[in-house]
Amino acid sequence: MLAILGGLWQWGARQLPYLLPPLSGVGSSLSGNFGYYVHNALVTLGEATAGLGMGFVGAFVLAVLTSELPLVRRAVMPVAVVLNVTPLVAVAPALVVAFGFGPMPKLIITGLICFFPILINTATGLRSVPQQVLQVYRTMDASRVELLWHVRVPNALPYLFAALRIVFPLSIIGAVVAEMSASGSTGGLGTAISVASSMNQLPVVYASILVLAVMGVLLLLAVTVVERRVLHWHDSVN
Amino acid sequence: MDGSVKVTGTPALELRSVRRVYGFGSAATTALDDVHLTVPSGRFVSLIGPSGCGKSTLLRLVAGLEQPDGGEVSVHGVTPAQACAAKLIGLVPQSPALLPWLSVLRNVTLPQKINRGAAGRRERIADFAERRTAPDMKELLVKAGLGDALDKLPAQLSGGMRQRAAIVRAFGLQPDVLVMDEPFSALDEFTRESLQDQLLDLWEELRTTVLFVTHSVSEAVRLSDTVVVMAPNPGRIVESIDVDLPRPRGERLFGERRFHEYEDLVRERLRRAWHSEAA
Ligand SMILES: Nc1ncnc2c1ncn2[C@@H]1O[C@H](COP(=O)(O)OP(=O)(O)OP(=O)(O)O)[C@@H](O)[C@H]1O
Ligand SMILES: [Mg+2]
Repeated sequence: MLAILGGLWQWGARQLPYLLPPLSGVGSSLSGNFGYYVHNALVTLGEATAGLGMGFVGAFVLAVLTSELPLVRRAVMPVAVVLNVTPLVAVAPALVVAFGFGPMPKLIITGLICFFPILINTATGLRSVPQQVLQVYRTMDASRVELLWHVRVPNALPYLFAALRIVFPLSIIGAVVAEMSASGSTGGLGTAISVASSMNQLPVVYASILVLAVMGVLLLLAVTVVERRVLHWHDSVN
Repeated sequence: MDGSVKVTGTPALELRSVRRVYGFGSAATTALDDVHLTVPSGRFVSLIGPSGCGKSTLLRLVAGLEQPDGGEVSVHGVTPAQACAAKLIGLVPQSPALLPWLSVLRNVTLPQKINRGAAGRRERIADFAERRTAPDMKELLVKAGLGDALDKLPAQLSGGMRQRAAIVRAFGLQPDVLVMDEPFSALDEFTRESLQDQLLDLWEELRTTVLFVTHSVSEAVRLSDTVVVMAPNPGRIVESIDVDLPRPRGERLFGERRFHEYEDLVRERLRRAWHSEAA
């Protein structure tokens, strides 16, 4: 499969030299400037994971609050839905204007993109404890905190992991888009791509894309490994 | 109330003209109407009756999961909410309701970690001045035939084993009232009988008050000191039949005439309850 794709690519590169660089060019760019790609990859990865972490904490806390307090649910959910349908990518330039070229706008964009799937899935998981299980623990007069800790949160974990599978790749997209919107940024693969494409360095562009793809796969792999350990009891991993 | 005085004779359960209505206006269903029931401590009482006669509703009221619309429910002289706060009540629902991420042993020990203030509250309720030590859950599980399944997850067990784990979890609370809503209805006949045996064994030992909902006449007669027959529309109690058979009630009982006479009696009363609805 890979060989066929590679062959097609090479054929395309010969037909359309302005669209696709030869693989050898991509390869030599990668091996020649390995340190450069690693450095930028780490910058992007750092932004993506930090942004995701922020989004995660915010979404998780809010999910707990919405599932415990109907008032918060009614206040927050409409806002969250509006946030979700807003193309956050379009907000990136505005955030750059507001926060400058530092990491801040990147973290915010990434965090916002990751926020909604985590919020919705976690809130669903917290509330989908079977009625009879709740009844058993209510007759022991379990407190809300006990119920959360021993029953609701573990029950929400499969839902949370389903969200993480969506959100890890999204976090990279968020970081790259934010980097590209801040044209003066100092690092990151998104910056590398916009700089290289403005100078017509196609091999660098595609090498960066390749690195991004590999990063995405590795992140997904990491989620899967953790999921298998944590959710060993759940049908989804057996 | 003075906690040091041991008041004897307080019934474990007392329902006085209890009423429960769901919905409003023309869509209202009277799930229970004018229900009186007194259960002395330590008795095994079954509720039996056609579907929709309010058996589960009655259990939910006793377990403090719902409030009556009229009348009074008391458990050892206190409200169901206070009884729950003191962990006097153990619930076995129709499904085992185990937590799928915990092993069998952890599932049945979790209740000990929950509501730790209950012991103190329990001592303040008149009937229970004495202190209790937590039971050895492993031993209880072994007794229930789950010795090989301690570290297994619920998904790795058969339906009968899961229901046994749910029963052990409830007994582990050392509840003073055990409420069970058709706990064996999803099991095959054979498993059902062996679980009845085990339930009786555990009960002989711990002697809690049991309120047990069932659809099976022979199950009701075999297990109970008293069979309470209910009728629907509106849900009400039509008869209490005391089952005067010796215990322990092993398999031999099934061959005895007296057992079948009780079965026939309950069946006949059920039929009457059914017809009273049609009328
Ligand atoms: N949450 C509810 N909302 C509305 N109606 C309810 C509710 N719970 C019970 N009912 C109604 O109350 C009546 C009694 O229900 P209940 O579940 O107590 O009957 P049951 O005797 O347990 O029946 P079954 O043997 O089928 O379990 C029924 O008519 C039912 O439709
Ligand atoms: Mg019922």
